[in-house]
Amino acid sequence: MGPKLIKRGRLMIAVSGLGLAIFAAPGLAAEIGPLPQLKTDPIKAELGKRLFFDKRLSGDAAIACASCHMPEHGFSHPDALAPGYPGNKHFRNSPSLINTAHKAIWNHDGRIGTNLNDVTRGMLTETYLMNMDMRIMQERAKQDPVYVRMFKEAGYGEPSNGGVRKAIPEYLKTLTSRGAPFDDDKMSHAAKRGMKLFTGKAGCVSCHNGPNFTDGQAHNTGVPENWEVFLDPMRHQAFLSYALFMGVENIYNLKRDPGAHVQTHKADGSDMGKFMTPGLRELTYTAPYMHNGMINTLAEVVEFYNQGGGQDSHKSELMKPLKLTESEQSDLVEFLQALSGEPLSGKEFVWDQPFPAEYEAIANWRKVRN
Amino acid sequence: MNKSIRNSTAAGIALAITMVCASASENMTVVSQSGEGVVNPPLAPLPQMPVPPDNKTTPEKVELGKMLFFDPRLGGDASISCASCHDQAQGWAWSEDFSRGYPGTVHWRNSQTIVNSQYLQKQFWAGSASSGESQARSAARGGVAGNGESDLMEVRMALIPEYKKRFNEVFGDEWPLIKNAWRAISAFERTLIADNTPLDAFLRGDNSALSPEQKRGKKLFEGKANCIECHNGPLATDERYYNIGVPTAARWDEDGLAQITFRFEQYAKGSTEEMYRSIKDDAGFYYRSKNKWDKGKFRTPPLRYIAYTAPYMHNGAFYTLEEVIDFYDRGGIDEEGNTTSFPKNKTDLIKPLKLSDQEKEDLLAFLEAFSGDEIEIEKPELPDYAPLFTKAELLEAEK
Repeated sequence: MGPKLIKRGRLMIAVSGLGLAIFAAPGLAAEIGPLPQLKTDPIKAELGKRLFFDKRLSGDAAIACASCHMPEHGFSHPDALAPGYPGNKHFRNSPSLINTAHKAIWNHDGRIGTNLNDVTRGMLTETYLMNMDMRIMQERAKQDPVYVRMFKEAGYGEPSNGGVRKAIPEYLKTLTSRGAPFDDDKMSHAAKRGMKLFTGKAGCVSCHNGPNFTDGQAHNTGVPENWEVFLDPMRHQAFLSYALFMGVENIYNLKRDPGAHVQTHKADGSDMGKFMTPGLRELTYTAPYMHNGMINTLAEVVEFYNQGGGQDSHKSELMKPLKLTESEQSDLVEFLQALSGEPLSGKEFVWDQPFPAEYEAIANWRKVRN
Repeated sequence: MNKSIRNSTAAGIALAITMVCASASENMTVVSQSGEGVVNPPLAPLPQMPVPPDNKTTPEKVELGKMLFFDPRLGGDASISCASCHDQAQGWAWSEDFSRGYPGTVHWRNSQTIVNSQYLQKQFWAGSASSGESQARSAARGGVAGNGESDLMEVRMALIPEYKKRFNEVFGDEWPLIKNAWRAISAFERTLIADNTPLDAFLRGDNSALSPEQKRGKKLFEGKANCIECHNGPLATDERYYNIGVPTAARWDEDGLAQITFRFEQYAKGSTEEMYRSIKDDAGFYYRSKNKWDKGKFRTPPLRYIAYTAPYMHNGAFYTLEEVIDFYDRGGIDEEGNTTSFPKNKTDLIKPLKLSDQEKEDLLAFLEAFSGDEIEIEKPELPDYAPLFTKAELLEAEK
C-alpha cells in the first residue's frame, strides 16, 4: 500500500448525467469517487473507541462491539455468520463498520433508517446481540473512574446512556477508508480495465454507486440461503426471535431469510429476500461476502454475478448473465481489490489498553452522592 | 407507627380471617398488642396449597415445570436457571447476603426460598408480583436476575422437541407459549411444601413433638417477645410490610459491583432524581407505593424452612438465627448499633425485648421447630435442541 496521507484522488467518473446524490433512486446512479473524511471530535471519538472495545457493554460482560466487528477483519468477522451473544449465535454475516458513518440506512435488511445513535442503541440492547440493559450499562460506566473522567472531558457530563450513544458514533466516524489505490489514482492497468467493466458491461454500478459504492437500496440478487441458519438451533433461535419481533408471519415454517420484507411487509411476499446493497470498500479484509457469508472469495462473487446471480422467483430484473470472459472477471476482481485501503487496525483505531478486571468500590460511599 | 392499616389489603384481611376461622377452634388465639380487639391468627399447621383456578395442578404440568425450573435456556445467555439462585442445596435460595445475580452482575436482595412460597399472596420482598406465575416471569427477565427476553426464550422452547410435545399435551399449545412456561414453573413450585416440621406435628396434637425448651420458646414467641404480632398464621407471616430497623447492607460500602446494581435498581424500581442521588439503602415497599412513609418496609417473611435459608433479612444482614434474635432483643439494632436508614418509618412494634440468655436459647430452639427435613429432589434430565427442518426439507423449499 502507498504512503499515508496522500491527497485524495481526483478521479470522479460520471456514470450518469443525473447521478449526484449518494442515495439515488434506482436507475439514477450516483458517481463513484473518493469518500470525504468526516470531521470528528477526537476526545469524544477516543471515548467511543474505549466503549467499542469494552466487554462490559454486553449483558453478561462477555462480548464487546469489537467481538463481531474486528479491526483486523475490516471491522467485520471472518465467519460466514457472526457469533452473536453467548447462549445463541447470529444468523447473518457481520457487516464491516468501515464507512458505516457514510450510510443512511443500516443492517442487511435496512431495518434502521435514522442515525448511528439509534443503531448503537439497537445493537447494544438487542437480545441476541449484546443483551444489555442500558440502565445497568450506565451504572457500570459510572463505576469506572476512567469513564468518569473521559465522559467529562468529552463534554457529556457524567457517564450516561445518551453519552454512550453519542460517543460510539463519533468513533465510527473515524473509520473512513483511506489510501485505496482507486482514490489515490494508483490503480494497476488490470484494475482500470476492471473499472470500465464495473461501470459498463458488468453493470455493477447500477446498484454499487456513489463514493461508498452503494445505492442505499434493497435488492434481491438470489444469494443462496445459508442453511446453517435453520439447521443450527443456536442460530435458528436468534433468527426466529428476530422474525417474531419484526412481525413476520408463520415463522416456524419460514425457510428463508425475509431480508427487507421486515421493512415493507408486502402481502404477496415479493419483497422477500431483498438485502441492502453493501458498500464495496475494504473487501480484501472482510471476506466472506453477502448478508449470510455464502461466498468466500471475490472471484466467486464475480462469478456469481456473471451467472446472473442465484435462483429466486423475486430476483431483481437487473440481474442477468454478464457474459464476461475469464480475463474480464479477473480484471473486475482487480478493480474491487483496488477499493481497499490501509488497514484501520493501528493504535489510532484500536483501544489497546487493558480494562480493569473488577469494579472499584466508590470510596466513602455513604457520604458521596450517587 | 402502628401496625399499618394502610398496607393491609382486602385480600390480606380476608385471608387472615379465613385462617382464624380455620384454626381458632384448636388453638389459642393471641390478642394483638397493637390494636384494640385485633386478634393475631395463631400459628397453625399448613393448610392445603391453594391452586389458582386458571392454573390447575396436574402431574404432567408439574413435571414440565420442574424441567423448566432447572433449564438455563430460560435466561439471557442460557447459563443460569431459576435453580441457580434458588438452589436446593442452599435451601432453594442462595446462601450469601445478596443473590448471585446474572453473570456480570450481583443482585441487591437476598434470594428467598421457593419452599412454601406459593402459599404467599404476593411474591418478592416488597410484594411486587401478585402470583407465582408473574414472579417467575419477572425473575427470568430482570437485568440482574435472569436477563432473558420473552421472544428469545419462547422460540428456544420451540426448538426443543420434548418441550414442544409437552407444552402441547399440557397446555394445547401448537408451539410453546412463554406465558405457559411460567404457569408450569409455578405449578412445580406449588409441590415444594415443607409441612413435616416438629411445629406442625405439635399443632396437630402431638404434644411430644416439641421439647420443653421449644415449648417455652413458643410461649415467648407468642408472648413476651411478641413475634406473633407479625409472624402469625400457618406461614408465620401476616404478609404485611414493616420497617423493623434492618441496617443498610455493609457490602455496599466495599463492593463496586453491588454499588452498580444499587443505583440501577433506583432506576428500575423508580425513584426521584434527588432520591437517586442521595439514597444509600433499599427503600423496599416505597418503590411500589411511592409513599415516603413506606421507605425501608419489607414483607414479613415466612419462618418455615429457615434452618436452611440463612442468611436472613431482605439484604441478608444476619447469618445466624442467634444474630436475628439479638437484633430483635436490642429493638431492631445490630451488634454495632446500626439500624434502618429510614428511622422515621421504623415500626413501634419493635422495642427492646429484655430477654434473658435462657429465653433467647428457648426462642432459638422454637425457631428450629419451623423446619423439618430438607427437601431434595432429583434434578431432571434436560432435553436437547433439535433442528426444526431436515436438510432435504430445506432444499425442497421453493423461492
